[in-house]
Amino acid sequence: MKFSLIRPAALLAMALGLASCGGGGDDDSFTVGGTIKGLEYPNLVLTNNGGDNINVAPPAKAGDVVTYTFPKKLEYGDTYKVAVLTQPAHQTCGVDPDYPLSDADTAGRLGAINARFACSINAYAIGGKVNGLTKDNTGLVLANGSTTGSVEIAPTSTDATAVSFDYAMPLKVQYNQTYSVTIVTQPTGRFCTVENPAGTMGDAPVTNININCVPR
Amino acid sequence: MKSSYLRAGAALACALALSACGGGDGDLAIGGAFVGVTKPGLVLQNNGGGDLAVQPTSTGTGTFFFQDLVETDSDYNVTVKSIPSNASGCEPSQNRGKVAFTVTSVRIICTIRQHELKGSVSGLAGNLVLVNGADRVTVPAGATTFAMAKVNEDAPYGVTVLTQPENQTCTVSNGSGVMAQADVTNVAVTCGPRT
Repeated sequence: MKFSLIRPAALLAMALGLASCGGGGDDDSFTVGGTIKGLEYPNLVLTNNGGDNINVAPPAKAGDVVTYTFPKKLEYGDTYKVAVLTQPAHQTCGVDPDYPLSDADTAGRLGAINARFACSINAYAIGGKVNGLTKDNTGLVLANGSTTGSVEIAPTSTDATAVSFDYAMPLKVQYNQTYSVTIVTQPTGRFCTVENPAGTMGDAPVTNININCVPR
Repeated sequence: MKSSYLRAGAALACALALSACGGGDGDLAIGGAFVGVTKPGLVLQNNGGGDLAVQPTSTGTGTFFFQDLVETDSDYNVTVKSIPSNASGCEPSQNRGKVAFTVTSVRIICTIRQHELKGSVSGLAGNLVLVNGADRVTVPAGATTFAMAKVNEDAPYGVTVLTQPENQTCTVSNGSGVMAQADVTNVAVTCGPRT
């Protein structure tokens, strides 16, 4: 069984070897390429074997899969390894987790090379400082509109002097999405207001949504 | 010849022993995933048997498994006995078949009732942008009403000004709360000269 496979393979290899000798031209017949899903922003740079680089533009229609190819072709048996050299704006791309081994192999082992990548939009935390709550002022509930559910913000159980503390909403917000932090339930004994409640997510966490609470 | 009788006898004895112990219990689980379950009330059954009360999650998604294990080649049929308090319905899918190995493919999709979130605008002379979390609505100059995207029952909401109109300041009242079982229509946006 084993030998019966080796023999035609050897013949094929010889034939290819002969062709590359005698043809006078290159036998670079394997195109390195693949698909990228989820790409929405420009400036993604992919590299093959660390030397051959291409800039991949987002699709004309958002949501479409992008197809890319490297200009430099490979010969049978050459190895390839496609990787992200530069991340696109506002996104993070990597080898598609559904095809984790598709980025590297040997040319000719598969009929066509399809190194698959997937991109997701960066998301960052939103939050700020809570001012004026002591351990007795429990029950403050915040929400980011109707987008991410609500969360109870509790001061530490030992704080008697209303020390300011940091909070963050439980779910991150994607680049270019809006957020609006509002108070769903006021805590016992305090009335709180939200500073800088609304905005549009940029490329960094938001830490200026302060909750300022005063005695009722 | 003799040994085949022996084997059959042994198998029978085993079967009897098993059924005597556990009532035919196997070692394979029946389960799957659900979406849209943010409130208690979802009860599932397999073959009309014991109730499985599914605990809600904050995101509404999760997994479930029936306590009772079943045998290879037995039939399963997962049905919805009751639905969460805020759902309009729950549809099972991939919920019937014969057990070959532990089943994780049953899907229960609950649809949460949604209600409108809207209100009035007064004194608006420019373009105002309102947001409710990721939902963003531009209210044009001169508008007297606005409507945000619908909100799930029992979900919080918080309408806030993202962008003030030129030379004006708008404030929102009754802008936040938790969606009850009826539309919210009393969000009021009042605009005046910027101070």
